[in-house]
Amino acid sequence: MEKRLIKKDALSGIINKLSEQMLVYAPVKDEDNVLFKVLEKGMEPLADYSNTRNAPKNFFFPKTETMMRYMRTERGIELSGEGEGAPEMVLFGVRPCDARSFILLDKVFDQEKYKDPYYIDKREKTTIISLACVHPPYSTCFCTSVGGHPMSSEGADVVLTDLGDKYLAEFVTPKGEKLLEKMGDLSKADDAAEATKEELSKKSEEAITSHVAGREIKPWLDENFEHPFWDTIHQSCLACGTCTYLCPTCHCFDISDEVKGSDGKRIRTWDSCMYWLFTKETSGHNPRTSQKQRWRQRLMHKFKYFVDNFDAIACVGCGRCVMYCPVNIDIRKIVNDISKL
Amino acid sequence: MQKNPYIPMPVDLVKIVTEVTTKDIKTFRFSFVNKEDAENFKYLPGQFGELSIFGKGESPIGIASSPTQEGYIEFTVQKAGVVTSALHDLEEGARMGVRGPLGNSWPIDYLEGKNVVIVGGGFAFTTLRSMINYMIHEGNRSRFGNITVVYGAREPGLLIYKDELAAWEKRDDIDMYVTVDKGDEAWTGREGFVPTVCKEVGPSSENAVTIICGPPIMIRFTLPVFFELGFSKENIYTSLEMRMKCGIGKCGRCNVGEKYVCKDGPVFSLAELDKLTPEY
Repeated sequence: MEKRLIKKDALSGIINKLSEQMLVYAPVKDEDNVLFKVLEKGMEPLADYSNTRNAPKNFFFPKTETMMRYMRTERGIELSGEGEGAPEMVLFGVRPCDARSFILLDKVFDQEKYKDPYYIDKREKTTIISLACVHPPYSTCFCTSVGGHPMSSEGADVVLTDLGDKYLAEFVTPKGEKLLEKMGDLSKADDAAEATKEELSKKSEEAITSHVAGREIKPWLDENFEHPFWDTIHQSCLACGTCTYLCPTCHCFDISDEVKGSDGKRIRTWDSCMYWLFTKETSGHNPRTSQKQRWRQRLMHKFKYFVDNFDAIACVGCGRCVMYCPVNIDIRKIVNDISKL
Repeated sequence: MQKNPYIPMPVDLVKIVTEVTTKDIKTFRFSFVNKEDAENFKYLPGQFGELSIFGKGESPIGIASSPTQEGYIEFTVQKAGVVTSALHDLEEGARMGVRGPLGNSWPIDYLEGKNVVIVGGGFAFTTLRSMINYMIHEGNRSRFGNITVVYGAREPGLLIYKDELAAWEKRDDIDMYVTVDKGDEAWTGREGFVPTVCKEVGPSSENAVTIICGPPIMIRFTLPVFFELGFSKENIYTSLEMRMKCGIGKCGRCNVGEKYVCKDGPVFSLAELDKLTPEY
């Protein structure tokens, strides 16, 4: 693995220089929010921010995406295109929890038998530069309870760690090393930088004070699909779906057709297990008619089904669903309550 | 990279058969436009396809033809929602799309050398018909033991595949028990509910497997009959239906517990279903 040092005041210039050669998305200030935007001349990429409100999953799995186009011809309707290929791009400034979400999404979209070409194309052509959380940004962060770490490199091609006056840049994948060639001359990292990083890593791990019994509740979930506890969590839920839209690992989608004149397209759009229509069949039958069942599905999918299938919890502990739930449903509390049953 | 699994293969609608007097169940025969699609579409009874009508959407439907019937594929579809209604409005010669084959199949390897009891109700006889035609095909018949079929509908006009039922009745290598809940003036056949007929027929559970598809109420009353006959849950198979979109285990809506009906199913044994959550 190549390791370099980047002076703090040089980073912005390096990222801006990259953006002259290829598409670069970076966190930038937008009124009171921080959003990933295409970095254009004169824009300042933020390296010192907490996290974006929206998870960056949309770069590989957009909210709405055209899967194919078709047009009416004399013979009926014929396919006219499968959507455009993705451009080479850099996603700068991803937090480690979100970078790790890509590894989890890969397990769904990049399987041996069925590969999702839309997701994989974008994923393969994107180089991810993550920013280690030297100071975990929120009291709601709980990455360490679900298999992550505030300074993890999982899912990243390049990891930047803020060492005070400089960044330690670790080029962890071949894709990352390829990007290094485009970043100009950077001084090699010394052992001291490594040692500082180790120290910071321990401190940042300790700074995560929110803990949930992530794996511990699995045996209970295995046995208690039916349990009075499930009647207690959904009562205040509005079924708004905010938790699933903001979640970096939620991947459910709908497929629908849109027609305009003689041109049409088939699109996919984010969907949510929080909605009653999600599972409603044409016959009228619905296996999940109540919000209780839908909440159970959401929790079971993340903490049991995904673990059964992929040996990983489908949660990265980013805390977005906790922060933005309009009725303050807190998945950490639910998990911990289960662990006490 | 492998082929994009979301892109339908173009097919021509070459034949439509209206199956029932209510005219809302039709069998659609398709032939592939591209030769290589026809060659690549290798399926087994029990699998399904996504029927794709551009401008309307897709609908997951079990394959009603048998792979032994070469040159075409068939789907029997009830007119129900947006896509199936549009399909019912099509005429022979129309071009549309099919994705698949998707899902697992009836447990063919497991059934080999065993007696097979097939129980179907109403319109849920489509992949069972595929299975029957597969088993009685001259190249396959010796691979299976006795074949017993109990098939029922509410009334004579709602029995599907009438010509084939009549042809199978004439064969001596398959025991047919066709029944209706209530006959009409013209009906000379059996009357009685499927569970009752199964009890009367009383197939031996010795080296036998039952595969059953039908309305939930029929299944509920038929299963106890087979338990009483000594069939274990490992030897009773059924096929599940769920709302589906992608058909390949990504869109997230057809799970029963940790299994996706589209890719881990739709065929499950009762023993397998017992291990899953009761949410379907």
